[in-house]
Amino acid sequence: MLHFAIGTLIFISTLAAIMIRPFRMSEALAAAVGATLMLLLGFLSPKEAIGLLLGEWNIFGFFLGLMIIAAIADQAGIFEVFANETARLANGSTRKLFLGVFAIGALFTAFLSNDATALILTPAVYAMVTRLRLPILPFMFVCTFIADTASFLLPVSNPINILILESFGAGLGSFLRYLLLPALFCIVANVAVFLFLFRADLRRHFEPGDLPKVELASPAYFRFTVVALGAIAVAFVVASLLQAPLSLVAMSGAILLAIGSWRHRQIDWARLKGEISWSLFVFIGSVFLVIRAVENLGLTDRFGSGLIRLSGSSPLWTTFVTAIGSALGANLINNVPMALVMVPTLHSLIATGQAPLGLVYAAIMGCDLGPNLTTVGFLATMFWLLILRRKGLEVSSIEYFKLGVLVVPIMIAAGTVLIWLS
Amino acid sequence: MKILCAIGTRGGPELIRRLREVIGPGHEVRLLHVIDVGPRDTLEKYLHGPRLLRHPLPPGPHEPGPLRGASLPPAAGAAAPMDEAERAAGEAAIEEARQEGARLGLAMQTDIQKGQPERIIVQEARESGSALIAILASEGSMGRPQMGPESIGHTARFVLDHAPCDVLLVRSY
Repeated sequence: MLHFAIGTLIFISTLAAIMIRPFRMSEALAAAVGATLMLLLGFLSPKEAIGLLLGEWNIFGFFLGLMIIAAIADQAGIFEVFANETARLANGSTRKLFLGVFAIGALFTAFLSNDATALILTPAVYAMVTRLRLPILPFMFVCTFIADTASFLLPVSNPINILILESFGAGLGSFLRYLLLPALFCIVANVAVFLFLFRADLRRHFEPGDLPKVELASPAYFRFTVVALGAIAVAFVVASLLQAPLSLVAMSGAILLAIGSWRHRQIDWARLKGEISWSLFVFIGSVFLVIRAVENLGLTDRFGSGLIRLSGSSPLWTTFVTAIGSALGANLINNVPMALVMVPTLHSLIATGQAPLGLVYAAIMGCDLGPNLTTVGFLATMFWLLILRRKGLEVSSIEYFKLGVLVVPIMIAAGTVLIWLS
Repeated sequence: MKILCAIGTRGGPELIRRLREVIGPGHEVRLLHVIDVGPRDTLEKYLHGPRLLRHPLPPGPHEPGPLRGASLPPAAGAAAPMDEAERAAGEAAIEEARQEGARLGLAMQTDIQKGQPERIIVQEARESGSALIAILASEGSMGRPQMGPESIGHTARFVLDHAPCDVLLVRSY
């Protein structure tokens, strides 16, 4: 009993430390301390830990490959060129530009992951919109939202998907069968709500001539990168279809781009090294260990039976509770630990026949969409506070917040019904 | 008389035309555009927020931490396109207004600064001993009504409340 209590305490403290980050401790350090304590106190044997980490090579390789691909694509100017081309095609219509940013956001998210859109496309769009002297806020909302909304179009659209799918061995067919309709629905809902929300800002016209031509260091290199990215995207889809390890595609793609970049004398090793977040590996590895220790304690089984008890016998309701629970959890404790808690929980439920496979996809949807809540909270409250500080009257920002918060549960609820129908 | 003319990203020419209608010749007019650092700060805090694949921007006044990218060396020029865009937009806005002024026979000085627009406008007016601030009620975003408390944007509102001199509030945009 004491053993169980101590293990649970370490688990909860680790999650709390990741969430609150006391003493400005990083998430990686917080997770590493938790994992070390679990090891030292014998909740997990060193042999098991090493076996577990080595067994997850696909995840680590996928993350590393994706980071390199995104960094090189960024250095090649892909994101600026796409943003500016969208403005040129929109030909002065702010509404068309707005829809265009949605489209490229969904495209980059689908094949290069949500973070590529959120972290690399967003600054490029910021620069473009600023130059065009259009209101910035609607476009920032589009970039940050579509990154999460489009992140269950394909398994590669969000690393969280791989994290969950990895242990269920589900292929592209099953993924698309459960998630394609919910994903398309969520994107359409997102576009519709934003078109309504920002309708006044979108009435303006802009001068496409205000945008300078993007000066590429090497047009040949740019063309190479575009073609290589296209090939990587196709390879990702094919690999998901064949259930081949996605890390192989990500790493081969990264190597292909790095060689091309080096051949065209465009590679900046120092910058590339700087853009790889090494601590992420510590973070994910540590969370793996903590969750395994908790699994050994039987805590995740209890969590699973709690989930079933909470949701009763209705599959629709179970699916909904799973999706909304994952979404809230992803906001509260970061989506990596949340996804990894859900994996053994769902395993125990599906293995005992208490739940359908659809729950896995409900969890994926929840973990992917959930961060939108934080994003809304973050962007809207920041703007709101900024404006309050100036003692101005700006009701519209509060409106953004309300509608933004409203749209996420709507997407989750409708998505749940669609998953349940599959 | 020294006049400080606050130019936002849009509507500068309209403001100048109206100003020219109400003042005679022979005044010292200064066009000031302030690059608003607020939206950019918010954006950078978001970019340093909890995301998995980090794209480090030069660390600003954010909390450090490896997962937030701030402890990594700043990527060379990652924020440069955003800086350039802000400056280019400001210059375009000022230039539009200056040309309109030149057409109407006003000689003007121009200035671009960075910070919180409302505070810098008030501070500049005080420091330069301006007798009048000319400003648009709002830049017309979000379908703002023509009258009532919401017709005046936060920048103009702050300037009205804190200006050390007279304010010409131009509503027609």
